[in-house]
Amino acid sequence: MISVIAYGLTIGGILYIISIGFSFTFGTMKIVNFSHALIYALGAYLLISFQKLFDNNFLLSTLGVVIGIIPFAFLIERLVIRRLYGGSIHFAIIATYAILLIGIDSIKWIWGASPIQLSDPIGANFNVFGVGIPIYRMLIIIIALSIAGIIEMVLQRSLIGKIVIAGLEDTEAVKSLGINVNKYFTTVFIIGSSLAALGGVLYAPITAVEPYMGNQILLLCFAVVVVGGMGNWRGTLVAAFSLGMLMSITGRIWGAAADVVVFIVLAISLIIKPIDI
Amino acid sequence: MMKHTLLIKLKDKDWDLLLIAMIFVVMVPIFTVNLVIDLMIFSIFVLGYNLLYGYMGRLSVGHMLYLGTGAYGAAMFIAYINPNPFLAIMFGMLCGMAIGLILGLIIVRTNGASFALINLAFNQVGFFLVQTGFAKWTGGEDGKSAYFDKVLFMDFYQPTHVFLLVLVILILVVLFVKKLTRSPFGILVKSIKENETRAKFLGYNTFRGKLWTFTLSTSIAALAGALYTINYAYVTPSFIAQSRNVEVIFATLIGGAGSIYGSLVGGVVFIFIVNLLPNIIQRWEMFLGIILLIVVFRFDKGIWGSITSWSNKRSIAKIQKGA
Repeated sequence: MISVIAYGLTIGGILYIISIGFSFTFGTMKIVNFSHALIYALGAYLLISFQKLFDNNFLLSTLGVVIGIIPFAFLIERLVIRRLYGGSIHFAIIATYAILLIGIDSIKWIWGASPIQLSDPIGANFNVFGVGIPIYRMLIIIIALSIAGIIEMVLQRSLIGKIVIAGLEDTEAVKSLGINVNKYFTTVFIIGSSLAALGGVLYAPITAVEPYMGNQILLLCFAVVVVGGMGNWRGTLVAAFSLGMLMSITGRIWGAAADVVVFIVLAISLIIKPIDI
Repeated sequence: MMKHTLLIKLKDKDWDLLLIAMIFVVMVPIFTVNLVIDLMIFSIFVLGYNLLYGYMGRLSVGHMLYLGTGAYGAAMFIAYINPNPFLAIMFGMLCGMAIGLILGLIIVRTNGASFALINLAFNQVGFFLVQTGFAKWTGGEDGKSAYFDKVLFMDFYQPTHVFLLVLVILILVVLFVKKLTRSPFGILVKSIKENETRAKFLGYNTFRGKLWTFTLSTSIAALAGALYTINYAYVTPSFIAQSRNVEVIFATLIGGAGSIYGSLVGGVVFIFIVNLLPNIIQRWEMFLGIILLIVVFRFDKGIWGSITSWSNKRSIAKIQKGA
């Protein structure tokens, strides 16, 4: 029971870290960014390379990935996403999907197609009512919650945050105030991508790292964003943890059905509250 | 009498069907029968997809679900109900129609990105059901062989017989799509793509139009799936895998969305690329991705769209010269 709750919170934390960037891109630029899944997978693979470089120092490698992903995110934004602003939604989906394809193939080219297993970087367990829970997973939950806190603070207190919130409400109105919205959106996109890579890094030791790992997470992200509301950072937090919990409970009953139940929730929430993009 | 009506129909500018049939027949001695069968079945799938994306302007990234429904529907029919291939194809198509009607009630209410991704979500659910949920009946990951009967002289273990069957069905589908898109209903569907609110305002029931178009699209996809089952005599979960959706999107775009000939060109080009290029190009997905990016940013009319706009420009130039 306790392990189910702990696992649900862990998955929820990972989902939150990955989805938040997706949610902001969706809310501000009105683009469903399939290449978000690529950034996530790339994060996990970069971790493998950095760990070799930094002598298995997990903390340093994580930092390396979060910074190392920025040029990739910048390139994707500059070369593709920027050209899709205000264009056809279909082309945005197809173009970002094309990036995902190219990226997956590059990953297969560089790192090989076979799954890679990583070990738990901490390895110790924490005892909760006689059930051993890996400290690493507790750490993920704490990281996710602190990221949520930081995002909340930045959005409420800083000028960038206020511009982004205003941009979520009405991009045109913000533009008419003479603010270069795209600059802020780019920043948000890059931070979101870094967080997605961080999600990939944190999740890598729990599952296997494989080239197609992003495809599965993409739909989960989309489910989180739809259930939580696009661009709604608080809703995303609640939705991520609820869906993580749901996955964990389902996984306990029938392991293979854990993802499927999320898609069913996604379908139901789209029926109740269809999004207009 | 039958022949007479056929002749009249052919006079009504439908002789392009004959030309299409002839092109496919001529391809057989140049390439192999199996390749041309693949081409034609895939073209049927693209035609169905194009009805949804090209004519109604709804992008689905989960259309393999409907192809897979047809393929598995036909295979299950053969395995558990009746080994007659014709009945199996019909059953597969009915399965596609049923799933289109049921899921369509939900799916066609959405738009744009929601539409694309809700299809993807259902595709994942379908894949899961086939691979794990109903593995006892579907054979799970290993797939299932289909042992069907001969019917009269038709023996679908022989490629030439399959070729004839698929050719006839392809021509019928082309004829159907052509008639449909030129009917008042087809014009309503196109107006949904252009501006749904306006179509609604004019008093049309756009929901019914969307639901029927979606159902027709899923039925045609399922028909293609059932033909795959007959052609290969087995099904595997790869027929319902969401990762293969890119194939039909690619074919539709490269051929030219919103045109019957564009769909055929796209289907043919794609299967040629699949069959010829992997020997030359190692990085297959990367190639597809790069071409897709080029299509989106520089070549959004597709091959057929470019040909028609080029010939239109030429004829305009000619008229201007004459005047």
